Amino acid sequence: MTASPDIRSAGRRQTAALSLFLVVQTLGTVFFVGDVIGDLREDPTSTHFIFEAIVTAALVLGILFGTFALRRTIELLRAQDQALEVARGALADVIDRQFQAWSLTPAERDVAFLALKGLDVAEIADLRGAAQGTVRAQLTRIYSKAGVSGRAQFAAFFVEDLLGEGVPTPEATQVAES
Amino acid sequence: MASPRTLTAATPSIAPPSIRDPVVRLTHWGIAIAVLGNAIVNEGGSLIHVTLGWLAMALLVLRLVWGVLGPAEARFSAFPPNPAAALRHLRQLARGRVGHYPSHNPAGALMVYAFWAALTVVIVTGLILTGGATPMQVAADKAAVASGDWSALIKESDGESSDDEETGLRHTAEEVHEVAANLLLLLAALHVFGVVAEGRAMRRNLVAPMLLGERRK
Repeated sequence: MTASPDIRSAGRRQTAALSLFLVVQTLGTVFFVGDVIGDLREDPTSTHFIFEAIVTAALVLGILFGTFALRRTIELLRAQDQALEVARGALADVIDRQFQAWSLTPAERDVAFLALKGLDVAEIADLRGAAQGTVRAQLTRIYSKAGVSGRAQFAAFFVEDLLGEGVPTPEATQVAES
Repeated sequence: MASPRTLTAATPSIAPPSIRDPVVRLTHWGIAIAVLGNAIVNEGGSLIHVTLGWLAMALLVLRLVWGVLGPAEARFSAFPPNPAAALRHLRQLARGRVGHYPSHNPAGALMVYAFWAALTVVIVTGLILTGGATPMQVAADKAAVASGDWSALIKESDGESSDDEETGLRHTAEEVHEVAANLLLLLAALHVFGVVAEGRAMRRNLVAPMLLGERRK
């Protein structure tokens, strides 16, 4: 899972940058408003004051719009996060059910899941504390139970499922690809 | 390391979104720095003191705007002031079992409102004391006095008609400013204590989300 966190951290960076900008903008505006109020007490009819008041009003409006836009961005990011979680949960369900349909043993399920995750034989053996030969034999049995020729077809089985009948949203394909 | 079996079994649950969005975090720490800074630099009317005060005012304004226009958890409607619920929460906390709230907990919400109220009082009295002078004006006046033009000083005390009344108001404002500022520091200490107690009861680090925001795997 490398692609999706990147998108999310980019979104988070964008939110942080927007927020920082909003804070700086507010600082400037509040100081400006204070200045305008000071001028108002001195000479409210001067051109200087009128121009400054208009500029300040524009700044205030800018902050309000900026705030609104930032809130939309944050809510959009959250919606995407949730959609991703839902898609991930749905994919886990599909995989679980398919493994049951192939009547994989618990050990085979673990190996199959790790293989789907993209781990190679050595890594799987390492993680499970088993010999590489055992893992290789388990993989062979898994492929034959699933009726696929090898690892590539095994992984493609689920991707194709998602692309064909599942939810063809960008999030769902990202999950499958990564 | 978790066994691979649990990896398979782990169907991801939808985590509740963090209420610590960047605006909340920036205003929180900005106000904390401004208040603590002004507690240290308590030379009233000095350029640093006035600037920090205006900084706090700007951040407070932004947080209040965010409380109306921001995302759901940052809005006031997410944490209405409710003393009864706050007491209930404190009783739970004393027993070491606290519920989870999407936004501030009820006791924390009361604390937030009390803090904002005290901060508003401090800012308003500060503005009265400086005659609403912006930091730019304070700097300009200071520069003028430094260069030998003392008219800036005269401008401050040109109210001949109501001299007594004005000094009276100034005096009251000064008293209120100091009392409210001390209250602010007291509330801040109470807040830190609350965070520690809550973090213990929930067995969760509550400081990290406020510092770093949301970190999910």
